[in-house]
Amino acid sequence: MTRTVIRGWFAGTFALCLGGPLAAANGGAATIRELKQLNVEDLMNVQVTSVARHAEKLIETASAIQVITQKDIRRSGATSIPEALRLADNLQVAQKNSHDWAISARGFNTALANKLLVMIDGRTVYTPLFSGVFWDAQDYLMADIDRIEVISGPGGALWGANAVNGVINIVTKKAKDTQGLYAQAGGGSRPEDFADVRYGGAFDPNTQFRVYGKYFDRGSEVLANGDSSSDAWRQSRAGFRADSLLSQRDNLTLQGDFYDGRENDQTGGTSHTSGENILGRWSRGISENSDLSLQSYIDQTHLSIPVAPLVINGLQFAGAGTLHDDLMTFDVDFQHRFRIGAAHGIVWGLGFRYSHDVAGNAPALAFLPATLDRDLYSLFAQDEIALQSNLSLTLGTKIERNNYTGFEFEPDVRLSWILSSQQALWAAISRAVRTPSRIDQDFSEAAPPHLVLLEGGSRFTSESVVAYELGYRAQIDSRITASVSSFFNHYNDIRSTAITPATMIPFFFANGLEGDTYGLEFCGNYQVSEIWSLHAGYTLLKEHLHVKPGQMDLNAARNETADPQHQFSLRSSLNLLMHMELDSALRWVDTLHTNRGAAPGSVPSYFELDTRLAWHPSDRLEVSLVGQNLLHNRHPEFGFPDPARPEIERSAYGKLTWRY
Amino acid sequence: MRLVLVAAAGLVVCMHGLRAADAPTENQVQAVFLYNFSRFVEWPAQAFAQPNDPFVIGILGSDPFGARLDEAVRDEQINGHPLKVRRFRSFAEIENCQILFVDRSEIARLGQILAALDHRSTLTVSQADGAAQRGVMIQFATENNRIRLRINVESARASGLTISSKLLRPAEIVGTDARE
Repeated sequence: MTRTVIRGWFAGTFALCLGGPLAAANGGAATIRELKQLNVEDLMNVQVTSVARHAEKLIETASAIQVITQKDIRRSGATSIPEALRLADNLQVAQKNSHDWAISARGFNTALANKLLVMIDGRTVYTPLFSGVFWDAQDYLMADIDRIEVISGPGGALWGANAVNGVINIVTKKAKDTQGLYAQAGGGSRPEDFADVRYGGAFDPNTQFRVYGKYFDRGSEVLANGDSSSDAWRQSRAGFRADSLLSQRDNLTLQGDFYDGRENDQTGGTSHTSGENILGRWSRGISENSDLSLQSYIDQTHLSIPVAPLVINGLQFAGAGTLHDDLMTFDVDFQHRFRIGAAHGIVWGLGFRYSHDVAGNAPALAFLPATLDRDLYSLFAQDEIALQSNLSLTLGTKIERNNYTGFEFEPDVRLSWILSSQQALWAAISRAVRTPSRIDQDFSEAAPPHLVLLEGGSRFTSESVVAYELGYRAQIDSRITASVSSFFNHYNDIRSTAITPATMIPFFFANGLEGDTYGLEFCGNYQVSEIWSLHAGYTLLKEHLHVKPGQMDLNAARNETADPQHQFSLRSSLNLLMHMELDSALRWVDTLHTNRGAAPGSVPSYFELDTRLAWHPSDRLEVSLVGQNLLHNRHPEFGFPDPARPEIERSAYGKLTWRY
Repeated sequence: MRLVLVAAAGLVVCMHGLRAADAPTENQVQAVFLYNFSRFVEWPAQAFAQPNDPFVIGILGSDPFGARLDEAVRDEQINGHPLKVRRFRSFAEIENCQILFVDRSEIARLGQILAALDHRSTLTVSQADGAAQRGVMIQFATENNRIRLRINVESARASGLTISSKLLRPAEIVGTDARE
């Protein structure tokens, strides 16, 4: 049946060609005409895509949210989550080397970026070593990701500590939407080779499952002189998800993953990263306005990283070694949503997290104490108050208790004004914190009994932000959508490096910086015709950090930021003749000011282009060719200018995808 | 950069030779369903003041269909009534219409809308989750990338509308949820 429609389309296309511009302006006419020929039952069997489902609801969301859909991911040719995150205009994404990425929102995108909260299906992926994300440990079968929600701006009131500058929510598809066999394999200059396979089935009509496996081998990047940067990477991953409809109202989800990867290091050693997690979630829908859910997970990660000897001015302070870290996290979360009368929509929740971290220290780098247990208790509540039919006020706060700083409050006030069904204005004031992580308090370079040059600050406290935001979102007509968000952030107690009085060393981490940032994020979509869509994005970011009166910073307030002041992107998505798709993504990233200690350095601004050409010889088969970073032989995206700084090379791969 | 712009210009020129490889969108198929409802539902004679009055498909709230719905009803008529599409930005603007599509953007006001339509022979349709259980006559739901119909037969009958078995057979019949 679908074929009838397709054939009809084909005929329609010729009409479009002959009819010239006038016919083209009525793009899709042939499709509608063809669909009208079908009887009701056939119409119900037409496979459809839902393009704008999220976009429609987004109009009314009072935050700077951008949603990356499965279609966006597929058509970008992204092979990993960080590559897919380049599709969010409100993020700064820079590839450091073959296996490491720096990703942040609204700045602070340093090698130890720490102001973003990232979740995969409700599981926080986070390392308490530095409050950041090991992006090389986060992956999934790209085809089974439903969407990635990227919120720039604080999300502390709902999500808690770490959601200082943004939240990334990676949501995988339900098992019932990934039924059947899916297999893909390919290779090229980078990734060199890869294979994905998934099978989805059903235990009974109400219980579906899927299992998947993924493997890839990425080659090394290069240095400025053209030599290999010796950072090749390979990883295997497998997992499952099962969803069961226990009753009309109750859903149960059980899912888990494990992975194992090896990464070559420029020093000649090999890092080993592995982990496993399992998550269960029960949710009950009480009515359209009321539901509750209970979720729990256990997540373990294992790291071993070669650590170079600590040598300064030819003098060796500590020898080479390996840093190990084994982290176990247990988390349980409860959430309840309900209404009080017509005006109040309440969400509240409780959470508990226990983590057990065991560091195996290297002579040059250590976390002390080596073993650390921590508890985190949290409570949040939010009330969305309908002031008028088109005006709503949301008040919320999270209260957390952690082992480092005790209680933390993260309140948030949001106002949403629906001007019409096509336009909305929103404004927000919120506070969020980054609670200390192990690097802030427990770090030691080198480890005693060697001479300690740099250590964590025993009095290191939380960094905080108060953010003021204003945004506007519009569906200008059925083809054009646009959104603008602006922000002004005031930060306090940002990390600095201080000196010990009298002895100078050890240097230690303190909260000696403060400052402001402001900027705006724009994105727009234009559906030029049924077969062609365009997307444009622009981000402006100004950062002014300085040393607080009475404090000092060895790095002259330069070490916590490394961000482009401007970046823009332009993407085109086009359906061609003969079931072909052509996608292009152009991006421009402004100069990154990065430094080593107090010495300034930079990454030059650059244009880059990714392109994908795909062909669907049948409904089940896709052949695609993807080129990444096509405009330069190689260029750096991140890091201090140094002969050892890896540069990202032009690359291409081919891929064959089969679904049954 | 210059190279890229040239390539983009090239794409515009060759647009005429291109075609859609993607499946139709939800909105396209739903637009055609809306047109089909005019043929598979029977309205009482008093639904029209004059024999040549237009048959109106109203859209309330954000319009998800755009030009697709206009294309679907162009030059069509039902028993001498030419099909017309009217768009209402708010509930207060609603005029007499035979079919009213309530976009999910207006769903918060559904109770009010249904109460006001109570004495009119208007077929109510929505794509909002749970709409049929709340008294909307036909709800679109997307399951396994296919459009399903959930039909609240009581609700249609109460307004004097008769839905053809051609629509009912493949649809899921639901009742009004007492909790609402």
